[in-house]
Amino acid sequence: MIKQRKWFAIPGFLTLAAAAAILSAYAGASSSQGNSPAQPVPFPHPMHVQTLKMNCVYCHFSANKSPDPGLPAMSTCMGCHTVVGTSKPGVQKLASFASKNQPVPWVRIHKVPEYVHFPHMRHVNAGVSCQTCHGNVQNMAQVSQQNSLNMGWCVNCHVGRSNPPFKARYDCATCHY
Amino acid sequence: MSSETSKPGVKRREFLKVVGAGSATATMIGCSSERVEKLIPYFVSPDQTVPGVSTYYASTCRECASACGIIAETRDGRTIKLEGNPDHPVNRGALCAKGQAALQGLYNPDRYRTPMVRRGGKLEKTTWDDALKIFGDKLAEARRNPGGVAFINRHQSGGFPQLLNSWLAGMGMAPALSIDPDADTTAIAANLQTFGVAWPRYDFASTRLIISFGADFLDGWGASVPQQLDFADARARGANAPRFIYVGARRSLTGLNADDWIPAKPGSELAIVQMLSGASTPQQAAQASGVDVARLTALQTEFAAAKPALVLAAGGGPNGMELCLAANALNGTSGAVSIADAYRGFEGIDPVSHIRALGQRMQGGGVSMLMVHNVDPVYLMPKSSGFRAAMAKVPFKVSFSSIMDETSEMADLILPDNHSLESWGEAQAVTNTLSLQQPTMDPVFDTRAIADVLLAVSRTTGTPIATMPDYRSLMISRFPGGAAGLAAALPKGISSGSVQQPAGSKALPQPVAAANAGNGDFTLLVYPSPALGMGEGANKPWLQELPDPVTKIAWQTVAEIHPATARKLGVENGDHVIVETAAGKLSLPVYTYQGIREDVVAVAAGRGHADSAGRYAKAGSNAFDLLTYAEDRSGSIMLGSTRARVTKDGGHSRLVTTEGSARQHGRGIAQAVVVGQLGGTHEASGSEHAAEAAPQGSVSGEQKERALGEKAAAGEHGGEEGHPEFPGDASHEFLPGLRSPTAKDAQGDLGGPGTKSKEKGMYDPEHWSGMARRRWAMTIDLARCTGCSACVTACYAENNIPTVGADWQGPKVLPDRTGFGANITRSREMSWIRLERYFEGGEDGGADFETRFVPMLCQHCGNAPCEPVCPVYATYHAPDGLNVQVYNRCVGTRYCSNNCPYKVRYFNWFGYGEPARAQYAFPEPLNWQLNPDVTVRGKGVMEKCTFCVQRIREAENRAALEHRGVEPDEFTVACAEACPSRAITFGDAADERWTVAKLVNDERAYHVFEELNTYTAVVYLKKVNHPGAMTTSPVAAPEVH
Amino acid sequence: MATMARPSRVKDEPRRPNIASADIQLPAVRDYEQVDREISATLHPTVAWFIGLGVAILFLIIGAAAWMYQIYTGLGVAGYNPPVMWGVYIITFVFWVGIGHAGTLISAILYLFRAGFRTTIYRCAEAMTVFAVMTAGLFPILHLGRPWKFFWLIPYPNWRYIWPQFKSPLVWDVFAILTYLTVSSTFLYIGLIPDIATLRDREKNPVRRRIFGVLSLGWRNSDREWRHFARAYLFLAAFSTPLVLSVHSVVSFDFAMALTPGWHTTIFPPYFVAGAIFSGIGMVFTIIIPLRKWFGLKHYVTINHLDAAAKLCLFTSLVVGCAYMTEWFVAWFSGNEFEKNFFANRIWGQWWWASAILYTCNMVLPLTLFKQSWRRNPTWLFILSFFINLGMWFERFVIVVPSLSHEFEPWQWAGYSPTWVDFAILAGSFGWFSMWFLLFIKQLPVIAISEVKEIVPPKLRQTHDHGIDSAGRHLEFEPSTPGEAD
Repeated sequence: MIKQRKWFAIPGFLTLAAAAAILSAYAGASSSQGNSPAQPVPFPHPMHVQTLKMNCVYCHFSANKSPDPGLPAMSTCMGCHTVVGTSKPGVQKLASFASKNQPVPWVRIHKVPEYVHFPHMRHVNAGVSCQTCHGNVQNMAQVSQQNSLNMGWCVNCHVGRSNPPFKARYDCATCHY
Repeated sequence: MSSETSKPGVKRREFLKVVGAGSATATMIGCSSERVEKLIPYFVSPDQTVPGVSTYYASTCRECASACGIIAETRDGRTIKLEGNPDHPVNRGALCAKGQAALQGLYNPDRYRTPMVRRGGKLEKTTWDDALKIFGDKLAEARRNPGGVAFINRHQSGGFPQLLNSWLAGMGMAPALSIDPDADTTAIAANLQTFGVAWPRYDFASTRLIISFGADFLDGWGASVPQQLDFADARARGANAPRFIYVGARRSLTGLNADDWIPAKPGSELAIVQMLSGASTPQQAAQASGVDVARLTALQTEFAAAKPALVLAAGGGPNGMELCLAANALNGTSGAVSIADAYRGFEGIDPVSHIRALGQRMQGGGVSMLMVHNVDPVYLMPKSSGFRAAMAKVPFKVSFSSIMDETSEMADLILPDNHSLESWGEAQAVTNTLSLQQPTMDPVFDTRAIADVLLAVSRTTGTPIATMPDYRSLMISRFPGGAAGLAAALPKGISSGSVQQPAGSKALPQPVAAANAGNGDFTLLVYPSPALGMGEGANKPWLQELPDPVTKIAWQTVAEIHPATARKLGVENGDHVIVETAAGKLSLPVYTYQGIREDVVAVAAGRGHADSAGRYAKAGSNAFDLLTYAEDRSGSIMLGSTRARVTKDGGHSRLVTTEGSARQHGRGIAQAVVVGQLGGTHEASGSEHAAEAAPQGSVSGEQKERALGEKAAAGEHGGEEGHPEFPGDASHEFLPGLRSPTAKDAQGDLGGPGTKSKEKGMYDPEHWSGMARRRWAMTIDLARCTGCSACVTACYAENNIPTVGADWQGPKVLPDRTGFGANITRSREMSWIRLERYFEGGEDGGADFETRFVPMLCQHCGNAPCEPVCPVYATYHAPDGLNVQVYNRCVGTRYCSNNCPYKVRYFNWFGYGEPARAQYAFPEPLNWQLNPDVTVRGKGVMEKCTFCVQRIREAENRAALEHRGVEPDEFTVACAEACPSRAITFGDAADERWTVAKLVNDERAYHVFEELNTYTAVVYLKKVNHPGAMTTSPVAAPEVH
Repeated sequence: MATMARPSRVKDEPRRPNIASADIQLPAVRDYEQVDREISATLHPTVAWFIGLGVAILFLIIGAAAWMYQIYTGLGVAGYNPPVMWGVYIITFVFWVGIGHAGTLISAILYLFRAGFRTTIYRCAEAMTVFAVMTAGLFPILHLGRPWKFFWLIPYPNWRYIWPQFKSPLVWDVFAILTYLTVSSTFLYIGLIPDIATLRDREKNPVRRRIFGVLSLGWRNSDREWRHFARAYLFLAAFSTPLVLSVHSVVSFDFAMALTPGWHTTIFPPYFVAGAIFSGIGMVFTIIIPLRKWFGLKHYVTINHLDAAAKLCLFTSLVVGCAYMTEWFVAWFSGNEFEKNFFANRIWGQWWWASAILYTCNMVLPLTLFKQSWRRNPTWLFILSFFINLGMWFERFVIVVPSLSHEFEPWQWAGYSPTWVDFAILAGSFGWFSMWFLLFIKQLPVIAISEVKEIVPPKLRQTHDHGIDSAGRHLEFEPSTPGEAD
């Protein structure tokens, strides 16, 4: 008897494992969390934020008034870097782009699917710090995605389980339309 | 409209190039977080624009001569939506389907992307420098014989024609022909003769009676948008509204809005007008028109009694000029024609006879160089005029067309013009008012504004006409206050002033009468399609897919004949008949339509372009091939004088129609009330009394008191407490007003007082978000709705709705379901709002039938049948009353649609939003128009009207940014915003300050299928009928069961 | 176990065999050894069998290919024609679920009622149930717009706080089908255990022997095992009995819970259950009649058994017919215009032909079974069973398509015509079902060896050339079974 049990125990376990794997893969657990690609121009956030004490909104200028946080225009960068730190290789790389009248093709890291509408200004004006979602970018020599940005992760705040708890709608059509 | 700024941003073009596949092509296929995406910053940040926030530019619509004001919504450098300009004197905020679809002219995939030159017999791409050099050289040659040069220009008012003519004059060439295929040049000639203006404003509101002789003022005859606004306002005046009688061989959209229809023989309208003017007797008129005397006598007496009456007449018939003049003469006495605020945009349009004459010159070899700008004479001129052959004889042909068409295909040099949304200009809207036109975005392709080209060439050819480098600086130089003045005026889109129009009255060529009108016992009636006009719209999928307001046919050309005629011929809908005239023959599928005389066959113009005219335009067949060329006294082409033979043909093709049953089967979807019943009580939709009482326009006392009793029971709001005890009871008389001012009912006890707050969640009226205190709702006034279908196209534009009718999109699984409209023959059209056209009465096929148009969209039921059946909560009820569809949750069981009584849910049968697929609905660059705020739905999910939830969220976000609440009537939905008859009102019905909250309590208010207890948020206001002495068709609501 | 009635002499014509008592008799079966031999003899694959299996798999491949094409291109390749948003797939789903029911009825309910005639046919019917439910279970997934998301219908814990909509009949379906599949397959397996043991003992091939050994769970034929077996079997029979009623009631809720005219009726649950059993028995005939011929099992599945099953078939047919007429009556009696209009359209409208097929096959033709000679004519039963299958498929067609095509909103009335994709997948489902069944009949006994042994006389020491009845009296050997023509 004992000997014969494994005959169906083994395939049983295998199927269970497969099912669990498929389910977890499907269940939205997949995410680009931890993704940290190299950028065409190495942009040192710590330098700008900590050393130079620049505010996030200085470059991401529309984060508090538009759904789109805004990317600094090349002119914004070159406003300083025509004179500042021109010796640094990164800055020279930036300058070479600028001299060719090309914008820098930054690699996108934080992205929610297109069927999700994420208005930055509502969050920023509600007092959600940039770091809440983007992590401590001010410490990242190379930016990486700190949070999964999955729905469950969003909803956790919206239903008031965050600390401190925020007041936010959790009706589906708040984000999905 | 948040900010209106004047100056187009800098270098948005570069931004566009690289980010073309960005958020605007947002599609919900999977989670794209894995894909490596680039974030491309601006090089120099454009001032006044914030990424992700729309910028609004006021400009002018150039789709027809009316010069309506538009406001272009631009997001991140792309123009994504056009709205009417509320401050504009012409269209007062409304915009028709054609105007909406201007965007698809801008982003049309079949536009010329570079200049083209013919080398070795075929067109090749070239550079502007090269093209301009060739053009310059050819001009230099041509100037030796300036008489041999001709220019055909698309008519437009404003400064450009002046510039063009002075440019031509500078080289000793004749002024350009100014052609507008859609304009009724007969009526214009008559108006100029009678009133001295090309197109007066008709004051419908002041009249007691409107008689239209084939004048389709609602579907493209003249300034149709303002005319529709005025007409709707007039007809909404209840007891003071004018009655409307339509005389003509075919009941057009305008005719369907008439209370009575007098089906006169084509060309016999003049006789009836003469009868009205007393020149002839009813007997004579009856003799000529084939209408029975009694009816004409009644018309005569009613006309005599009604003061003032307005008589409108259109050309196109054999004696169009005489008809229009006679009609104008009748109006001369009444004050219903306002010359002061005439629409000046119609001045200077040349009749088609000029092109015909030019054709004859070309035939004789008298033309060495032909220039054509945005007109397509090769398509427009009937084969019988032999224009194509003649044009082939011209040695050098230049086209400024911005888009492929039959004429530019024959050209030797193509200098593509900018689209009107990419160029500067102005239009003469009304007297002393200029409507300003500015670029709403940088050119999509490598095109140049024709004005700038002319200026540039004039410098190289040594005949400078202006010192200015381009047209913009020319405008500024002319503008009072210069650049600053212009910058100040642009946000409003209008400025006072006027531009001298070049005189349209060139020597009129001797008109040619019909060489051979042919014989046959039918009269062929070719009419401009309300959506496609004379064919300019044919390359725009929105307009091709828009069902014709009358026939509900899309993507297809049909022969309309009377059911009795069809029986005689032994054909049914879809069977092919051969329509044969002296000019040619076509085999067309039959559409039986009882709004047409038995001796008339009607074919809509606008479709059936050559393959060269682009991928969409070749749908259908070309009605001009059947037309024997003939002109009336004004030099305009005759559309209704060709004799035709109609014989049965073998084939059969499915009609590409959205029409199921044209009858309501007494289901009370479109209800009506007789004007006499208005005030005090509302007519009993459910009872036989109404049906009898209706024609007399009286209500039995017993009925009245029952109604009043109900009202009392209903209480002020007509809300919950007044709701019938047995909602399914057919004999019950329902009450006006929104059943559920809040979402309470849908959520059962969730919203009720009984439950604990934490169980209620956001459905708790006390919840901080306040969502449950709102109830987004809509009223649709059927007394105003004319069925023009502008709302449909507006919805396509706003909500990224795919068109599914192109031949490559169809399901190639059944042989008879391929080709253009294949999907629609399987009723797979996706339009979230549709115009249902129901006929009442005239079951015998007689002329006495009434038409009711019902815009049908998701009713956002408070108690929605679709919600409980969705296994995955993809559709559910939001606390603010919206019936939400979550695309990314939908698995596609389609149970919701099965359970929807209104059938307003649409399924993505194919990957219409996926660029890789054959069925892709937005080939580059059409996808640039996609609204970034709305998800492009993927394959296999259900979709439906969302009440423009993206606009609700935007308003909420804006309000939150400004630390205030959403103001009453602060925003509205796309269909309501476009509606040229102001039939649709949207808002928060739970807040008394919104307009909609008042309208839902109107005495005419009713819900469709109320007996199903769906508690709809869309409240319809009953149509108001104005029966006349001869009206026999049922004018009250049908019995509701 | 069951007490045996006196054997009836078939020879003496004047006395018609009393079916009620004679139906459990197998006069041509002499002893246990014969049962083992003859039934396990059916397990040896033949050329014909291989051909049949090949055809089945071919159909399955065609269907699978069509499904892949549909998944890739979109549901538009199927014949859907809004507002007809459900079509062949849902029809076929209900069809197969229905087929399943007869199996459980025969194996479980008739077991509880001690209806002896079930003994020889129940194994087939039970297997048919399992495979039919396996087939039916595919279709709800197959008709989804995004089939790869089907698992969203299953409640599983997730951190998005999202659950299925438990109000939706489609979610009930998931539970109903899964329960039914589990219980019926367990029931089938339990019943098989002693037979598998028998096969194990007769098996020469070591591998198969080993597999049978595992599957028989080491059955040693001891009294104790038999006692527990009987208990377990009885319990499972009792357990699956309510499913016969519940499962198809739930399926009928898919329609009855909607407000579509023609769907929104309260008689659907009993009506569907009766229809299901009716169709199931039809399918049993379709399967068992050829089997008994090809496998030479006529003296096991006797004509009496078929006769009894035919009576059941006739009864359910009458119930179903009654349901049809009730529908008409209610539509007329309700005074609801939508209903009236709909039923008028169903019978005289664009779908008259479908209704005609339905009423002919399900109401008219089965009436022939009132005559005993027809009931006892396997050829006729076989032909009739095809009509019944056809009719029951069209019953679902008439419920689904005309209702949707002719709803509240006249503007949205439309037609419906399936495409080759629909038909390919329909054919594929038959291929899938047949493949499993063909594999089954060559691996496991189609007749319950152990239960048949219960109704043959106890084995004597030496085999006789003639049968011996329970009382030990000698019977003349009857090569063929009584009452049958051929």
